Amino acid sequence: MSVADGKTAGAGDPILVVRELYRHFGGIKAVNGVSLDVDRREIAGLIGPNGSGKSTLFNLVSGAVTPDRGQIRFDGHEIGGRKAHAIARLGLARTFQIPAMFDNMSVTENLLAAAAEGHWQGARERAAETLALLKLDHVADNRASDLSGGQQKLLEFGRVIMRQASLILLDEVTAGVHPNIRKIILEAIARLRERGITFLVIEHDMEMVRNVCDRIIVMDAGRVVASGSFNDIVRNSEVMQTYLGRPQ
Amino acid sequence: MKPRWAGLLLLIAVIGVLALLPMLVNNYWLRIATGALMWAGLACSWNILGGYAGYINFGHSAFFGLGAYVTALLMGDKLAWPFFATVPAGMVVTALFAIIIGAPTLRLRGAYFAIATWAFAEVLIQFASVMDFTGGIGGIGLPPFLDERFFYFAMFAAAALTYLITWALFERSRFGLKVKALRDHELAAEAMGINTSLVKLQTFVLSAVTASVFGAIFAYWVTFINPKSVFGGDITDQMVVMVLLGGLGSLWGPALGGVGLFVVNRLIWMYWGDTAFYIAILGAAIVLVVLFMPNGIASLFSRRAAKSGAVLDKAVGKLVGDDQGGPN
Ligand SMILES: Nc1ncnc2c1ncn2[C@@H]1O[C@H](COP(=O)(O)OP(=O)(O)OP(=O)(O)O)[C@@H](O)[C@H]1O
Ligand SMILES: [Mg+2]
Repeated sequence: MSVADGKTAGAGDPILVVRELYRHFGGIKAVNGVSLDVDRREIAGLIGPNGSGKSTLFNLVSGAVTPDRGQIRFDGHEIGGRKAHAIARLGLARTFQIPAMFDNMSVTENLLAAAAEGHWQGARERAAETLALLKLDHVADNRASDLSGGQQKLLEFGRVIMRQASLILLDEVTAGVHPNIRKIILEAIARLRERGITFLVIEHDMEMVRNVCDRIIVMDAGRVVASGSFNDIVRNSEVMQTYLGRPQ
Repeated sequence: MKPRWAGLLLLIAVIGVLALLPMLVNNYWLRIATGALMWAGLACSWNILGGYAGYINFGHSAFFGLGAYVTALLMGDKLAWPFFATVPAGMVVTALFAIIIGAPTLRLRGAYFAIATWAFAEVLIQFASVMDFTGGIGGIGLPPFLDERFFYFAMFAAAALTYLITWALFERSRFGLKVKALRDHELAAEAMGINTSLVKLQTFVLSAVTASVFGAIFAYWVTFINPKSVFGGDITDQMVVMVLLGGLGSLWGPALGGVGLFVVNRLIWMYWGDTAFYIAILGAAIVLVVLFMPNGIASLFSRRAAKSGAVLDKAVGKLVGDDQGGPN
């Protein structure tokens, strides 16, 4: 494993390349010199303690927050500082840690809205498939704001599916959800991966990280401090103690 | 799908009655019906942006007035354009101003937009009051055309078109999905590839342009306008109250609110010969709606009508700026 950067050794053409990325909020160094690669078709896990800058990294990559400096290359495009919608149209999709529902729209409409810009052909059929895949059919006509927390997490995930993206960023999609819902999400991730979609997932649950992720990137205090396979990370007792030793 | 058929039959019945109305009532009531159609249309026009996109426009009278003034000026002695040619001209002028006002402010939180639109209407009042070519405070007259039926059908056509476009765009197309998505969560909408700034601007231009058409017909109808009568803040106030009363973000709510309030206005005028009392009713209506019927009249008739109270929450959120509350 390579400690202190998230780059993979010798891999060919990464879908996402981040170099020396910085974003401070006042005195808070939320992202403080991050470099990492995500390879095509892998599921990379992003872990680290609370406040280590994981969500901010997602916000920077997806264009929700503009970087102070640094480079972000996605699928051959320099996207650092571009507008969020422009980045999304290149094939990058993300979920929000706190579900960001279109509250006054139905579950189906939430899914259709996700496809309204881009892959609109057959969107209704795909929305129906997505509802079935996520077992949300029975609430298809409910207002999104009336869903349970777990169902909202599912709908977040469903919208991302509707985007037909090549890279999906998942920010703690299984945090605090019922085991049944977690199972639905894990199965859906497996399905999408078969289609060749790449994932970068923020996860606190180590069981899930072990089962799902091909590779793990560890962040602390705004920096990448380690990257490697689950076993590499676990064997590295320093990383374990400092970053994973806290109660889950 | 019983309710659907019932709704369609009701719609056909309403259109039928409206089409035959000139043969059923005298000119006095026809004028009231013409006004009711205008207000129903104006309320819909305000609701396009306020209800579907969640951006509160406190100066919508500016666009009504622009349509009115463009028609009045172009139909004047010097130019003597035919009425129907002035309407598209007013729409173009209005669209340009909407872009100038909206492009910089719709990127910011709703409060900036609200203040900018309000200020714009105030500026237009002052401008029209001091300029010679607009006739100053005295206003301008238009060539009189005293055919009540013409104006009734003109307002009817404009209102019908406004509702038809609103229905097609906001209830039946993916454009409407984008607009409602950004109303409910701008950051998530952007993450779905929606260019929220552009979609907001398009929605605002549509909202402004529809108002200008009613302004144009109004000016020709009343044959005389002045800055207060077409740019006045009370015009915007009424649109806002009509929409809140009828149902913010619903298709038919603004029609119910618009017709209802305008008819009340006229009845008060008939019985008291004065509409000061009406202002008190407007205020009371707002308070009662917010307290007891936050979802508007439309919600009483349709389960599927937007929950205006929840839509209002979004609009207020944009106004005070907690909409963007950190992209976590
Ligand atoms: N928009 C913002 N304004 C100010 N500070 C921010 C903003 N976004 C994030 N921060 C701060 O940056 C730091 C990193 O936050 P971030 O949300 O990226 O952490 P995280 O790794 O996702 O944590 P968690 O595991 O709790 O989700 C925190 O101290 C946070 O308070
Ligand atoms: Mg986070």
